[in-house]
Amino acid sequence: MQSDARIPSRASVRIQTYLLVFLGLALVTAVELAIASLGLARSVRVPILVLLSLGKASLVAAFFMHLRSDSRLYLVIFITPVILILAVAILFVIA
Amino acid sequence: MHDATHPAEQTAMFKAGDRLGLDHLKLGMWLFLASEVMFFGGLISAFLHFKINNPSPESSLLDVVLVGINTFVLLASSLTVVLGLAAIQRGDRRGLMGYLVATIILGFAFLFGQGNEFVTLYRHGVTLSSSLFGSSFFTLTGFHGLHVFVGICWALMTLAKAARGGYAQEAHLGVEIFGLYWHFVDIVWIILFTLIYLV
Repeated sequence: MQSDARIPSRASVRIQTYLLVFLGLALVTAVELAIASLGLARSVRVPILVLLSLGKASLVAAFFMHLRSDSRLYLVIFITPVILILAVAILFVIA
Repeated sequence: MHDATHPAEQTAMFKAGDRLGLDHLKLGMWLFLASEVMFFGGLISAFLHFKINNPSPESSLLDVVLVGINTFVLLASSLTVVLGLAAIQRGDRRGLMGYLVATIILGFAFLFGQGNEFVTLYRHGVTLSSSLFGSSFFTLTGFHGLHVFVGICWALMTLAKAARGGYAQEAHLGVEIFGLYWHFVDIVWIILFTLIYLV
C-alpha cells in the first residue's frame, strides 16, 4: 500500500498548478516582447500578439479566478460582456 | 411542475442564495466585473479607433522594456494573491499575510513604473490635452492605474482584517472576492500591454 506521505495533497497540487500557470504567463509575455521586436509585418504580428494576449487573459480567468472549476453562471456573466465588447471593438476598428 | 416549498421558505432560501447555490457576495462581484468589462471595453475601443485612424509618432516614445518589466510585476502580484488564498484555505493565516504584503509591494512597484512612464511622456510634451494619443493613452492607462491603487487599498484592508484574525480556513470569502478584483485588473493590463505597447 502506498504511503499517504507520498501522495501529494490537493493543496500542493493546486499550488503547483498556480506556479505553472505563472511560468506560462511569464514565458508568453517574453515571447510577445520577442515577437514585437522582430519587425514582422503588421498583418502577421497583430493577430499573433492579440491571440497570445487573449490566451494569457484566459489562463488568469480560468486558473487564478477559478472560472474553470466554479459555477458556469459566473463564466456566462463574465463572458457575455466580453463578447459584446469584442464586437464593439471590431466595429470601431472597421469604422 | 409544482414546487412544494412554502413561499416564505422560498424567500428565505432566495435571500440565503440557496436557490442558485451561489454566494451573494461572489455573484455581486462577478456582476461588478462584468460592468467593468464594459467600462474598459469602451475605453479600449476608443483607443483602438484613434490609434488606427490617427497613427501618432508619440507612440514611439513608449518604453516597451520598462512596461514589459511592469507586466511581469503585475503577473507576479496575481500569483501572490492566489498563493495567499491557497494559504488561508489550508489555515495558514501568516502565509496569507505574507503574500498580501508581497502583493501590496508589487502593486506599488507597478504604480511606480507607471508614474515613471507618465513623467517621461510629460517631459516630452505628451499630456492629457496635447493630442488625441495623449488623451486616449492617459485616460486608459490612468484609469487602470487607479484600479491598481484601489486594489492596493483593498489589499491593505484585507491585510488588516487578516491581522485581527478575520479569516480562517473555513471563512476566507473576503480574500477570494479581493482576489477576483485583483486578477481582473491583471487581465485588463494583459490586454492593454498588447494593444498599446506591442501592436
